[in-house]
Amino acid sequence: MNWLQTIRMACKSIMNNKVRSILTMLGIIIGVASVIAIVAYFQGGTKLQRLQYEAMGVNRIDVSGYGAKSRDWEDFEEYLDTELADKVAAWSPQSQYYDWQSNGIQYRSQKLTNENSSTYMYFGNQDYGEVTSRTISVGRDISKSDCDNRARVCVIGETLQKYFFGAMSPLGQKLRIGGKSYEVIGVYAGKYGGKINTEDQLIVFPYTLQNSMMSMGGMMDKQYVIKAASKEDIDELTETLLPGFMQSRCESGGGYFSAYSNSQWQEQSEASSNMYAMLGGGIAGISLLVGGIGIMNIMLVSVTERTREIGIRMAIGARKRDIIGQFLVEAAVVSCFGGLIGIVLGCFLSAILGNLLLMQQMQNSYMPSIEQFTVLPSFGLIVGAFLFSALLGIIFGLYPANKASNLQPVDALRTQ
Amino acid sequence: MFKKKAPKEAAQTVETEQQADVLSETEERADLLVDVQQMSKIYNEGQENEVRALDNISLEIAWGEFVCILGQSGSGKSTLMNILGCLDIPTYGTYYLNGQPVSELKPSVLSGIRNREIGFIFQGFNLIPALTALENVELPLIYRGMGRDERRRLATEALISVGLEKRMEHRPGEMSGGQQQRVAIARAVAANPPIIMADEPTGNLDSASGLEIMQLLQKLNEQGTSIILITHDNHLAQMAKRIVTIQDGRILSDRPVQEGVGA
Repeated sequence: MNWLQTIRMACKSIMNNKVRSILTMLGIIIGVASVIAIVAYFQGGTKLQRLQYEAMGVNRIDVSGYGAKSRDWEDFEEYLDTELADKVAAWSPQSQYYDWQSNGIQYRSQKLTNENSSTYMYFGNQDYGEVTSRTISVGRDISKSDCDNRARVCVIGETLQKYFFGAMSPLGQKLRIGGKSYEVIGVYAGKYGGKINTEDQLIVFPYTLQNSMMSMGGMMDKQYVIKAASKEDIDELTETLLPGFMQSRCESGGGYFSAYSNSQWQEQSEASSNMYAMLGGGIAGISLLVGGIGIMNIMLVSVTERTREIGIRMAIGARKRDIIGQFLVEAAVVSCFGGLIGIVLGCFLSAILGNLLLMQQMQNSYMPSIEQFTVLPSFGLIVGAFLFSALLGIIFGLYPANKASNLQPVDALRTQ
Repeated sequence: MFKKKAPKEAAQTVETEQQADVLSETEERADLLVDVQQMSKIYNEGQENEVRALDNISLEIAWGEFVCILGQSGSGKSTLMNILGCLDIPTYGTYYLNGQPVSELKPSVLSGIRNREIGFIFQGFNLIPALTALENVELPLIYRGMGRDERRRLATEALISVGLEKRMEHRPGEMSGGQQQRVAIARAVAANPPIIMADEPTGNLDSASGLEIMQLLQKLNEQGTSIILITHDNHLAQMAKRIVTIQDGRILSDRPVQEGVGA
């Protein structure tokens, strides 16, 4: 007897008992759907988190140090450009301008002060946009010659563009900050929907302007943003190469040096998120187990009810393995079918949960704006869930099937 | 096609102390369909409630016979039928079916024998209620591993031969007792087995339907199929060609039926 025939026969006997079959499947359906939804939910959370980190800069390393002489920092920059050239994709100094006097930014008569929202003001070089994963939407980025010439220019974020200029072109317009004018040369495309109080509310100046704007003398806290060439380089850079070069120089001046990357946080939080997914999936998996036991229960009832049928089949030539095959396949078909329904249900559930997750995360100002985001179970998860439910059916069908096949034809035929 | 099969090989695998005797016996057995020697079936042997359902029975049935095993309820005829039909094995004695030593075969081999060599017809029809007439008839062919088209052709032919060409898609519950029994006959003959075993085939039927079934069996016998009919009905037994009367697990008489008495 071939398998196709067995499967056809199993489907028939399942169809003959629709209500019971559906009730039997229910356990598997609920189990599979909840495993899929829970795991997909956590996977979606991980994906959102990754998007947040990537918005801050792909492979980003933040370096800050204090205490070293400025010649040491020049050495450091040269070290980045030469010896680390194949591990460092780009780097930029970074420092933040604090508008202590709260004069704010002024365009003609319009003013934006820090009273109700804060504008991020940074100094960087020509690579600043790249290291922080920003792209120019209008105009141009800061150039090397801007830095060399200490040009009084700035690139603004989408929030400021909207606030000051609306539909008008901002290029060539002058913003007044701290009593001086800076020409707008470009706009960074918004990553957070151009909303107020997000990183889109920023303005970037050539780093060479920082002394004139901030009038700080002597030894200074130095910061750099570095973009590692690849994810794999991050650990080596933050743990050995960068500290190895600068740590002693900073510390000998009584300062400190640190280089960190949020990729480590990211890995940690992904690991913990995966753990939660496993935990949640495991708990939901218990309901799958209960579903499997339900299958076994019903199959046992079915074997008892169909003892006479088993006897007839044996009388006309069914071998032991034909009977085992029949009941095993029936159990497997019920659980596979339940698994399929569960997968469909699980996909819907994860889409719904994913939307809730997204709505919740959109309150977060570090959440980049996303065109489209659907939490869907991964292909592996779907295949895994399906195979697992088939396996459950086979495991829990084994005992009833064996019981059926061990019936003696004479006894089975005698049953009414 | 099964009748041509040489029983020698199967018989030779049986080891006995007197190999030569067995071989010479085998020559004789070649024409025998059923060869039962000193067979007993004992339940709860050695205990207080010991039951000797069959007690030292010897029976030989040749190809093409129409034998009726006649006995009252409790006579052991059903036990005999179960053993002859390879549904049960004897406690003592030997049973060769078509040259094969049934009492020594494994259950999976017995399944094969039931499937290929024997067609069963039961008192209670024993059709599977969820399947249509056609599917019921196809079932033994499925277990034989026959392809779909050939199976369907044979099953259809069998149903036509019992006059049920208009009932093929009906389920047993939608048919009369006589029709159900005819489906069972179609199932028994579809694969053209050398023997049909019928256990009280008319027991659940009115006399008209019963007669139809008996006539079908006679027709099959005329076409060359050996038939073993088991019944308690003396009148019905007269339609066979030979009557073996059984009582208290023993054979009481074994005689041919005179022409013209039954039919």
